[in-house]
Amino acid sequence: MTDTDRPILETRSLAKRFSIGTRFSAEGRRTVHAVDNVSLTVRHGETVGLVGESGCGKSTLARCLVRLYDITDGKLLFEGDDITSKSLSELRPLRRRLQMVFQDPSASLNPRRRVGDLVAEPLRIHGKVSAREITARVAELFELVGLLPDHMMRYPHEFSGGQRQRVGIARAIALNPDLVVLDEPVSALDVSVQAQIVNLLADLQEKLKLTYVFIAHDLSVVRQVSTRIAVMYLGSIVEEGPAEEVFATPAHTYSQALISAVPIVETTPAGARKRIILTGDVPSPLKPPSGCRFHPRCPIAADRCRSERPELKEYRPGRKVACHSPTLT
Amino acid sequence: MILSVRDLKVSFRTHDGPVRAIDGVSFDLEESEILGVVGESGSGKTVSLLAVMGLITDPNATIEGSIRYKGRELVGLPPRELRRLRGNEIAMIFQDPMTALTPVYTIGWQIAEQIRAHRGVSKSKAMERVEQLLAEVNFPNPHEAMSRYPHQLSGGMRQRAVIAMALSCDPALLVADEPTTALDVTVQAGILDLVRKLRAKHKSAVVFITHDMGVVSELADRVMVMYAGRVVERGTRTEMFSDPRHPYTRALLGSIPPLTGEKPRRLLAIPGSPPSLLRLPQGCAFGPRCPVRYEPCEAGKPGLGASAHAAACFRVA
Repeated sequence: MTDTDRPILETRSLAKRFSIGTRFSAEGRRTVHAVDNVSLTVRHGETVGLVGESGCGKSTLARCLVRLYDITDGKLLFEGDDITSKSLSELRPLRRRLQMVFQDPSASLNPRRRVGDLVAEPLRIHGKVSAREITARVAELFELVGLLPDHMMRYPHEFSGGQRQRVGIARAIALNPDLVVLDEPVSALDVSVQAQIVNLLADLQEKLKLTYVFIAHDLSVVRQVSTRIAVMYLGSIVEEGPAEEVFATPAHTYSQALISAVPIVETTPAGARKRIILTGDVPSPLKPPSGCRFHPRCPIAADRCRSERPELKEYRPGRKVACHSPTLT
Repeated sequence: MILSVRDLKVSFRTHDGPVRAIDGVSFDLEESEILGVVGESGSGKTVSLLAVMGLITDPNATIEGSIRYKGRELVGLPPRELRRLRGNEIAMIFQDPMTALTPVYTIGWQIAEQIRAHRGVSKSKAMERVEQLLAEVNFPNPHEAMSRYPHQLSGGMRQRAVIAMALSCDPALLVADEPTTALDVTVQAGILDLVRKLRAKHKSAVVFITHDMGVVSELADRVMVMYAGRVVERGTRTEMFSDPRHPYTRALLGSIPPLTGEKPRRLLAIPGSPPSLLRLPQGCAFGPRCPVRYEPCEAGKPGLGASAHAAACFRVA
């Protein structure tokens, strides 16, 4: 088994449900099925991209992967080791290998502390290193993410969005993690700055042998960074496969609709591309539809789709789809 | 000619000194034409359109230049006169539909209010019109939707309600400020489709502000690219995307990862970030980030010239 085939993180029928309301509220206690029956394998050195509309559960899944949320059902394995219900103190040694970068760097950085200090924080918590070593490491990290050493004494508000995200990334890689979960890391940035961060993430991955789980709603960005893609709809994965393949020949109707909806720069007259416009909205995860959860919006839904829920099946090595009548190529 | 803007300048007095948010913007808009305005945050795309709408009420702001709507000068028009135009002949759609709707009234009531204010029709007449409008923006069940409150609708539906409101008085000019930025691509596709259909039906002229080159390419007839308060390039859609001339436009197009075909190993990123309007660089504002800058760029600001497809760059002129 080569290193790249070795799973680093695995979920088995993972589910996350939230309870909302009380027995005194109008509808009583209800359950939100945010993530439902997700089995996903992340292998060493790859980038798995999670895509889907807002509310499809991709961020919830990301938070489950780093155990920021407790998992309701199913299993989470880190290098084969079951970490589903490990206590916080048991998780601590793992945390240094499993890091996360958030969407809004101005919300995830403490505005009252200097950024040098913020980047040093994980080092202080996890390593028993001296002050001098910490300073040296922070300087090294700043260089790695493209910040200047004299930026260390500044506060987060003194930076632009792109630079703040660099600080967020420096913090995440401070402890030499193996896996970094990136939740919409470029979505809040200006277009001209997005490409810088995408390139930076690619460079870091190569240099530090990182594995990424990358979430973004911008599909072209996800395609650029990912080796594999998982398309989520209403809490479940509906299609999975190599990034370029899924984009070129999506098998699930939902993936087709999603990809065809992306506006692209064309020099030919508009409308040359075939587009599937979905009607209706994403159903509420409070009352997920019966059968295939996509059937109320699916243009090719049949009777079977209303009653029987399709499983995520591997129809070709590396390609999985959850549909009764997928478009196979 | 619906709209003709000439040498528009907007500056704000701030604590840290004067900020020139818009520095000499000119453009024209014909009937049933869609103009795409592209730019990053701070490029002045929103401020220039707020100026057109007469919505800059900040006492620290100064507006210079000329904004002519159907030949009538809007700069300096008394607020009462402006109010008669706004919402009636000129309508606006904002990025966040939740802030454009009041949470305490139903969708139907809010749209009807606007119709009654501008047209002076009876309440029942207005309500009839609302139902028509909601059907036009593809509400599956318009009659029922009228009695809904904004919080009961999804983001896409709210934006459709705002569009219905904007269309309620058949505006000749529709200004849309990033109306799809907060929406999913699937919903966005539907809204863009709607804008296209409405343009065809009502012959409204549309100014569509966005940071997404893809959206512009799908929707606009003509495109205007803005950077640091100035127009850096303008042209038709085809000119802009098959022959981008300004280094900024080129860089912006190069930094978008492709959705099909070969993946580039690295994206062509633009170094640095957009400049602060308080500390604009000497000469061309894009100079410090520009791959082809040379001495003249630091000496003076390049002008746009008069041709239809023009770029404000010394290298191009």
